[in-house]
Amino acid sequence: MASSNTQDIKRRIKSVTSTEHITNAMKLVSAGKLRKAKATFEKTNENFHYITHSIAEIFNNSSDVPRHYLLGNREIKTTCYIIVTSSKGLCGGFNSNVIKEAEREILADWEKPVIIAIGNKGKEYFQKRGYDIYSEYLEPPESISFLETQEMSRPIIEMYNSGEIDEVVLIYTSFISSLEQEVKNVTLLPFDIEQDPDIMQLEKEVEYEPSVEAVFNYLIPKYVEMMVYAAVVESATCEHAARRMAMENATDNAREMLDNLSLYYNRARQSSITDQIIEIVAGSEAQK
Amino acid sequence: MSKTVRLEVITPSKVFYRGRVELVIVRTLEGDEGFMAGHSWACKLLDIGELWIQEEGKSQKDEDWKVAAIAGGFIDVRDSIIIYTDAAEWSDDIDMERVLSEKAKAEDWLTTETKHDPNEIARAQIAIAKSIARMHVAEGGGRRKR
Repeated sequence: MASSNTQDIKRRIKSVTSTEHITNAMKLVSAGKLRKAKATFEKTNENFHYITHSIAEIFNNSSDVPRHYLLGNREIKTTCYIIVTSSKGLCGGFNSNVIKEAEREILADWEKPVIIAIGNKGKEYFQKRGYDIYSEYLEPPESISFLETQEMSRPIIEMYNSGEIDEVVLIYTSFISSLEQEVKNVTLLPFDIEQDPDIMQLEKEVEYEPSVEAVFNYLIPKYVEMMVYAAVVESATCEHAARRMAMENATDNAREMLDNLSLYYNRARQSSITDQIIEIVAGSEAQK
Repeated sequence: MSKTVRLEVITPSKVFYRGRVELVIVRTLEGDEGFMAGHSWACKLLDIGELWIQEEGKSQKDEDWKVAAIAGGFIDVRDSIIIYTDAAEWSDDIDMERVLSEKAKAEDWLTTETKHDPNEIARAQIAIAKSIARMHVAEGGGRRKR
């Protein structure tokens, strides 16, 4: 009995060790990817904050914004949800947090939603539950280019202008620190003018060229594109941070398990040795 | 020395240029326009074309200008100037062979493809316009040839 027990434990140690190797390697890989993603994120974040801020400022200070882009000018019926998840698993609660938030939003709204899924996980989840996925982007999010977000955003703007959708909500994970991420839910359109109190009122008149309308018709799609792009980049950073954390925990757990197992193994080995000694002693005693 | 103004040129992937300048010339939808310190506040759309920067303390001589090709965008003039563009490239970084091949590809597409999808045609035309702007810039800018 004793020898089969040590065999079992040995086998388990082997399998846990190889799991530990894998999770440890994945941890190192995502740590490297996180560093890269964070650098891109910080760069885009810095720029984009600037641009979106300046766009928001223009919106808030002009009385000539085309009315249909502003909140309260049409009834909100169909909402378009842009859900940013990852394409791969093994990143802890990262995807499920986004999906939970998205589902809560969708269930709270009894009109049929239009879903745009960025990342495989969100797509699979909502497809399985019978929602229509209007469009999807399934490549790894860190390799997305601005051009691709442009392609994705164009139909959103077109649908919004034609009245097929009345609201655009972006659900993604926002990066607070390497250890902390938070699901965010941002309404891109219609534009809520009152939303941001720290945007200052401009004291000077601004010239628009060729016309106010042309400027806004350019800026509003740009704004949506940039917000989507920034969200994807940020979400990719979060994904790597979350995966790194998850893999670190897994590695720690595996090591702890290995410690316990080697303790059991030694104990089992010791007891089998004791058994054998007892047998030998008993045998020699019997011969006397 | 004349007054200077802070200029930032931003593309989706990076801050393309940041510094104090005396004069910046861009092509707006209405034509080429120069902006200096103290310009009235404006927000203008930019066409595909050239971007000319005269940096602080530099002369207006040809070789002192910094020239780049930009792919449209907008300029926001306040106490400082921000230019947003989808893509930008300094004159020295332009790879002439790639530009020519891209232009040839787009032209080829326009002449041979028969789908007549207005979106596709517009895209090819934009690609050609971008290549032409980059060619001008690489050759030292259309302005210099006057």
